Amino acid sequence: MSTVTLSERYRAEFDPNSQEFSLAGVIRPHSVDEIAATVTQLKQAIDAARGVLYINVKRLAQMNNTAFHAFARAFLDACRTRSDIRLVVVTSSVVGWTERMFRHLSNIEPQITVEVYDSKFYPGQTFVEDTSFIPILRTQTKMTWRHERTILPRHGMRAGIHMADICCGIGDFAVLVRKEFQPARIVALDHSKASLAYARDVATNFGITDIEYTFGDASEMLLEDNQFDLVTCRHSLQIFNQPDVLLKELYRICKPGGRVYITNEKNSHCLGEPRAQSIQWTYNEVAKLFAHFEMDVELGPKSRRYLADAGFEDIRVESFMVTNLDGDPQDFADIITAWENVYAGEMAVKRGDPPEFIERFRQGFRDHIFAALHPKGYAGWPIWAASGRKPL
Amino acid sequence: MAATEKESAKTAFEPLLQFEMEMGTFLSDWQHCDQLSTFMARMISHNRADPVRHSNFLSSALNELLEMSFRSGIPDGRLGCTVYRDGPTERVKLSFPCPSTQRQFYREAVSRTNNGSAYARYLDAIWTELAPSREVILLDLAINFDAEIRLEERPSPSITLVVDLPLEGIVN
Ligand SMILES: C[S@@+](CC[C@H](N)C(=O)[O-])C[C@H]1O[C@@H](n2cnc3c(N)ncnc32)[C@H](O)[C@@H]1O
Repeated sequence: MSTVTLSERYRAEFDPNSQEFSLAGVIRPHSVDEIAATVTQLKQAIDAARGVLYINVKRLAQMNNTAFHAFARAFLDACRTRSDIRLVVVTSSVVGWTERMFRHLSNIEPQITVEVYDSKFYPGQTFVEDTSFIPILRTQTKMTWRHERTILPRHGMRAGIHMADICCGIGDFAVLVRKEFQPARIVALDHSKASLAYARDVATNFGITDIEYTFGDASEMLLEDNQFDLVTCRHSLQIFNQPDVLLKELYRICKPGGRVYITNEKNSHCLGEPRAQSIQWTYNEVAKLFAHFEMDVELGPKSRRYLADAGFEDIRVESFMVTNLDGDPQDFADIITAWENVYAGEMAVKRGDPPEFIERFRQGFRDHIFAALHPKGYAGWPIWAASGRKPL
Repeated sequence: MAATEKESAKTAFEPLLQFEMEMGTFLSDWQHCDQLSTFMARMISHNRADPVRHSNFLSSALNELLEMSFRSGIPDGRLGCTVYRDGPTERVKLSFPCPSTQRQFYREAVSRTNNGSAYARYLDAIWTELAPSREVILLDLAINFDAEIRLEERPSPSITLVVDLPLEGIVN
């Protein structure tokens, strides 16, 4: 019956603590009666609210006019009877039409406002969405790929699968995977418009038309449940202040029986010889610097716990070390230069570190480069690759 | 009518996808609107710059059109839908049975989507009506999806709505 199907496809929740009523999923009723219970729930939320009631529609993927009118009616009635409250509709920049539709309500009633929830997801957002990150990502992916191409098949990568690369950055990984493993479908999602534009350019230049680059928020994705055989998310859990929220989304879009594959670092374990001590000091500081911005670049070895807590089974964890001996040592050095620029040049400055600290901080990166380019030197960057299966 | 004049100017539309269905079958389950719009949107949007978001927009618009033909409720005849593309615009042609008595209604509703009072009428409808009328759905398409809508008149028991949706521009 259609009502059963409808109620399975959307969720309505009221959280009295945050005074937030949220609607998520697909709401396309035939008649208002099918959503009567939800409208009542909304009215009760309005009755209970003091001051401001937030209406969260960030994950409302679809809603027909029948539903829109019913909810709009409840909002507008509330404004008439409760001149003491304000309604703030929180939409997402990802689902464009919700903003367009709800905007009209604020033209009718000044008590209703619409806010587009966008950046500021977490404290470190501005650094990682910055275009100065692009060259880093480029070289990093080139170096990690040498290892990952042999690792990936152990984590569910194979020809013909449907896969999604979440937080895809500039999309190089998707391009490499497409060539090497020929999946049937690749969706690549990121929240940096600059990186996506770059990714699309690269794809166009290579005549690639079948990678679906999409703008989205990894913690509130528009993608439907249970769609992908493999969901990859590389170097990104570690930059969210709530990795568990992101992991829940990866779990949601993964098919039962499919796998979620994540890679993360433990920055304090970057190493080099000679000049080991200076290098080690700096990377310990890198971990603290990221922690200051609520990012955990020490997450790598915690992958097993995160995956287990998120409900995955058959968890596999392995680690590999990108080193100066993988191909051209200059590539390794280039990555470190890029790190120095962003970490010492931008993030430490933003934290307000004194010049003496920044100088010492920079020295460790320079020593790491020295080790990488030294004829007898060795420089390494360890990475943890882990995956878990979503239970059937 | 202003809308009819534009017809001859646009000729570059290429057909992408077409389906036909007995109205009786279509009307047997409300979920058909959702399923068809989701499926068609996904197929059509796959080679747009942002396929996921394009398909989300397109599905919204297609669903409203399909729901409108569903609510017309006439079980005899066929439902036909063809989607074309010209650059950033998708054109949806939707045909469904419509008794001659209702044609005038559609004519007027369509013409109101592109006159100056469209937005005022739309707001008024949200403000006063309990459930959206067919006219409001057309206004919604014109206002929220920047759709240009016209009617193709044919001597048949069906009516054909032609809806141009410049979604690629809106999405990106
Ligand atoms: C460290 S980079 C990793 C990129 C890529 N996976 C790689 O390994 O090269 C993190 C990426 O996450 C993206 N990102 C940050 N917040 C996001 C969010 N809320 N939703 C989607 N992507 C996000 C950033 O734009 C950036 O491209």
